[in-house]
Amino acid sequence: MKRRSQLAVLIAALLPASVLAKSIEGVVLNKQGNVVANATVEVEGSDIKVTTDANGKFVITGLKDGLKELHVVAPGYAHLHRDIMLNTSDSQSVAFNLERSPIEVIDIEATPIHMSAMESASPVSVLSGEKLRREQAATLGDSLERLPGVNTNFHAKVASTPIIRGLSGPRVLITQNGLDVSDVSRVGPDHSVASEASTAQQIEVLRGPATLFYGSGAIGGVVNVVDNRVPTDSSTRGEWNVEHNSVDDQTVASFNATTGTDSFAFYADAFWREANDYEIPVAAELAHDDHDHAEHHSDYVVKNSNEESDGFTVGASYLFDQGFIGLAIEQFNRQYGIPGHSHGAEDEHSDEEESVFADLEQTKVQLLGEYNLDSKWLNKINLRAGFTDYEHAEIEHGSVGTTFKNKTNELRVDILHSQFNEWNGGISFHYKQSDVEAQGSEAFTPPSQTQSYAIALMEERHFGDFLVQLGGRAERVTIDADNVLLPSIDAHAHDDVGGHDGHDHGHDEHSNATRVFDAKHEFTPVSLSAGVVWDFAPSYNLGLSLSRSERAPSASELLSFGPHIGTATYEVGALFDIHEDGHLGLSDHTIDLETANNIDLTFRKTQGDIGFIFNAFYNQVDNYYYQVETGLYAESGHDHGDDHDHGDEHDHSSELPVYLFKTDDVTLHGFEAQVAWQLTDEFKLELFSDYVRARLDSGGNLPRTPPLRFGTEFSYQTEKLSAHIHATRYQEQDRTAPEETATDGYTLVNASISYDLSVLNQDLSLYLRGTNLTNTEARVHSSFLKNIAPRPGRSFALGIRGYF
Amino acid sequence: MTKLFKLKLIALAISSTLITACGDAETNIVEKDPIAVPDDGHDHGDGGDHGDGYTIDSLGRLAVLAADSNAASFFDLDDNKLLETFTLTHDSNTLSVSPDFRYALIASRSQDYLGFIDGGLWREDHGAHLHDYEQSPVLSSYELTSGSRPTHLVNHDGKLAIFYDGDTDSGTTASVAVLTDNDITNATAALPSISYNINMHGVAQPRGEHVLSTIRRDDAQSTSNAKILPDQVGVYHLHDGEYELEQTLELTCPDLHGAAQNHDTIAFGCSDGVLLAHQHNDEYEAVKVANIDAVGDLRIGRLYGHEKSDTFIGIASGHGGGAAVLLSINPSDAEMEALEWQLADGASAVSYSFSANGEHFLVLDSLGFLNVLEAHAHDGHTHWELAGQVDITEQDVTTMPEGMKFSMTVAQNGHFAYVADPIAQHVVQVHLEDLEIEGELELTFPPAAITWLGIAQEEEHAHEH
Repeated sequence: MKRRSQLAVLIAALLPASVLAKSIEGVVLNKQGNVVANATVEVEGSDIKVTTDANGKFVITGLKDGLKELHVVAPGYAHLHRDIMLNTSDSQSVAFNLERSPIEVIDIEATPIHMSAMESASPVSVLSGEKLRREQAATLGDSLERLPGVNTNFHAKVASTPIIRGLSGPRVLITQNGLDVSDVSRVGPDHSVASEASTAQQIEVLRGPATLFYGSGAIGGVVNVVDNRVPTDSSTRGEWNVEHNSVDDQTVASFNATTGTDSFAFYADAFWREANDYEIPVAAELAHDDHDHAEHHSDYVVKNSNEESDGFTVGASYLFDQGFIGLAIEQFNRQYGIPGHSHGAEDEHSDEEESVFADLEQTKVQLLGEYNLDSKWLNKINLRAGFTDYEHAEIEHGSVGTTFKNKTNELRVDILHSQFNEWNGGISFHYKQSDVEAQGSEAFTPPSQTQSYAIALMEERHFGDFLVQLGGRAERVTIDADNVLLPSIDAHAHDDVGGHDGHDHGHDEHSNATRVFDAKHEFTPVSLSAGVVWDFAPSYNLGLSLSRSERAPSASELLSFGPHIGTATYEVGALFDIHEDGHLGLSDHTIDLETANNIDLTFRKTQGDIGFIFNAFYNQVDNYYYQVETGLYAESGHDHGDDHDHGDEHDHSSELPVYLFKTDDVTLHGFEAQVAWQLTDEFKLELFSDYVRARLDSGGNLPRTPPLRFGTEFSYQTEKLSAHIHATRYQEQDRTAPEETATDGYTLVNASISYDLSVLNQDLSLYLRGTNLTNTEARVHSSFLKNIAPRPGRSFALGIRGYF
Repeated sequence: MTKLFKLKLIALAISSTLITACGDAETNIVEKDPIAVPDDGHDHGDGGDHGDGYTIDSLGRLAVLAADSNAASFFDLDDNKLLETFTLTHDSNTLSVSPDFRYALIASRSQDYLGFIDGGLWREDHGAHLHDYEQSPVLSSYELTSGSRPTHLVNHDGKLAIFYDGDTDSGTTASVAVLTDNDITNATAALPSISYNINMHGVAQPRGEHVLSTIRRDDAQSTSNAKILPDQVGVYHLHDGEYELEQTLELTCPDLHGAAQNHDTIAFGCSDGVLLAHQHNDEYEAVKVANIDAVGDLRIGRLYGHEKSDTFIGIASGHGGGAAVLLSINPSDAEMEALEWQLADGASAVSYSFSANGEHFLVLDSLGFLNVLEAHAHDGHTHWELAGQVDITEQDVTTMPEGMKFSMTVAQNGHFAYVADPIAQHVVQVHLEDLEIEGELELTFPPAAITWLGIAQEEEHAHEH
């Protein structure tokens, strides 16, 4: 940024002021009349961006005549929009007064049009800076779970992924710098997300349908992890961090650094983390008979919840006046235990819990570029291309059980036009192709190739106090699988208890042949959205967003047929159905798109000592793909080398309940609320709450819906010292799906303190953080493992962070 | 609720107004030929395998190493057709098989090389069913070249332990690597391993999470006469991808050479007898069965075991071959006895093997006879008796070209053994129950070694509890 402002000054000096260049000079002040240094002043719809100096002053030169929309951003202040008309005079002098915003406002990078928590029609949140470092955890789900509207599926700390407004899996897209992270975390809760928070610069969450920007996989929302892997400037800076955590003996070390010359910028980051099984305040298993444990052991742990991961990224880019282009390569490795991976056939005589662990490896190459044309028609072209090669192996007894692979190629080009009739926006082309394959005993989905092409249009315009945001996207998704298998499994009910000694799985007239299908699906989902933000009074605005989004079902939702140990179910895709005679065959139902009609209402106070954001949403989803229990059971067919040739009577423990994907109409509604009150310059109080209700229109609830949550954070911040106390109450969840049990509520209390000091020209920050201070038993309703893996007990983390 | 109802109306209103272009979904499903499952009359008592998958019914495949060139040929045993011939990287090779019989292993000890050729016939457990695959043989790009002098390759229960001897001359040390067929398929870069800081001519036996592998002590401490031979056995346990020494068996085994295991016991050949290690939970206990008089001044240097056989067969011989005595070792009684049947005068054994079901022990001799021994129980004792001999060649065995010999492999899916004859340049198929030659596979070159590849019958791996 500094580079660019120097450049602007240089250009200003070279060009005779009278020829074409008009300029704006000004000063940025706060409410008390003090100057604000390091504020960014941006001309909307262009690449011009300057930073204020120590006296709060800035100069923008090289402007043409016309209406200029300036956008002023500074940390801790509300964003300011101001229109300046340039016509006759060569230069204009302005003064901007920024208002404080107790809620940090950061623009997101996930979308080509400008969006932030305070200014857009649809709700977004951003975790960055100190706050990101405070919240970051080993998994993406656990890192984001204190954002409003975001919960974790808490898979015993090892594989947690985010749940946005009650939706997860194939409905929430996870991206890295705007490109699909391309792992298999959307397929199973025990599959970890191949992205790292400790080296990220910010993590953005788009709540509610974001298919407009990202297509089918984003009908529930998007999580975008942003880092500087392809550097956009070359100013030398960096950050490092070392931390130790007591509850799981976790040690984390990470760094990231950017440097370069005038034309080239370089980036590198790396991280390393190692953690043991984590301690818990109570026995891991729910309904554990406490009589056996009259004397409490203090050393309860969740077995096999250890983790080890490391990774590095290197990137380089070429910087030129009109933009940049660069390439980054990342290697990501992770090994984690999968607790509760208890396979059907548990041997009676194996005292030792078998430890299954996943060994994940991903190589990711990203090419990012930006070119500012600044021509009459075109303003800017954004290019993002990615290639990822992902593989994870589930290792049992020292040998590979199942291997999951995902190879993805992706290309996305955003072409933004120059301001046209005060409209800003552009068109986006998007291509994505993934080959997903699983091999081994838990390969419940046949190999498939998914391809999508999309074109999207996004536009926004200010009409006085109104900001209007419009968008549409059409997509073509094909899913090809040429070897879909329908074996004649012996699915049977368990109604006749005791009558199973004979174990005659009547192989009647139904042939034992496995049917094979070549399935080709072609979907054309279309998404439309319209939003408006009305600044109806100073410091206040009201946002309304309406959208209709369509989603093509994922390959696993359609084609699955087999045991899925991560969910402990025998999964059968929507392509199949149970016919009247009880046998599984092809479904007679047509495979249709899932459609979400969503209304989002936002009420905000954007500046002053008190700021707030209230969101309410109502999301009606037709053709919602979900799994229903069939009441049948099928063999998991999973033997662990020790064959189950026990000759004794039929043992149900090696069987899994058969769950069938089907579609129904579903309604989700709820709210998120966030209030921040800057009591004094040092003290701040924040309150938040969120809730989602997810029910079938025909009656009944969706499973694993997070409960009502509310919490508060009290913080104290001076130049050197910062301290936070955070308490969150999770209410009991008793709105359960038929196969589900209710989960008790609990309150988590966390606190942290950090002290900044400067040593050898480096800014250091020493910190101590305590989590779950009351050592409470906390079971996460949205977790598949809630009965065997509660949250970690009381833990203290000590760390040091440095900036240069 | 009324509020919600209104919202619903609004939602409906959006959906009707915004449908300018409605999404479209099209599904096209073509049913292909089903995979018929033969009514296998398979054990339905086990509750595990319902035989519903689509298994392929095949005799399997045969990999044949040529004696006169560095080539390996692959044949389909159903029609005896040549499928593929591969030129090998190195000149002197040995042929063996991967633990699940999918891959042929090409080892070139002097070149520190292990390569793999996919036989193309394998089975995957897809949970709901067993899924068999039948494809053309292909040379795998996976190679193991980092260990020094790969020598003893031991398969057991889906795992292969490679013992790298190391080499005094080049100063390389011994090591062990353990792999599965899956590792070969996935080209696993880092195999679980054991590293020694000395070289030795040792052997490793994989067993579940453990590997029992030999330990060579300092020459001053070692009880071995030939110091390159180890004299101790260590129990190694897999932790985070590395095997760690958990236990060293106290009993020594001087001049240890040869090892085998059955369901309960692991046996090691020592100059003073046979060391038997037995697992109790995670601990191993060892006993020694001392050599009997019949061993004389020979020593048991080779051992054969089978998951289903109570007894081990030990081969006592002098260094460098010569006369051999066949012994049976019974771990439950800690007893050793000489077999009633021994090789005829003038005959030497060229190959030994248990049959696939463990009921027979096969001795192929230099005169061209396949001697089939059968286990009989008398008073709770297992005795091995000759069930019969199959004359596998009509050629004059004295015309055997220099450096060549008969070779043998056992099919893991039935009652067949295959014997290769370099003089006649063919492979005969021997039915082990009927003791008759039932087929012949013509070759155009003299075979040096053969190995069976394919899908082993499930019972093969089964061990009753």
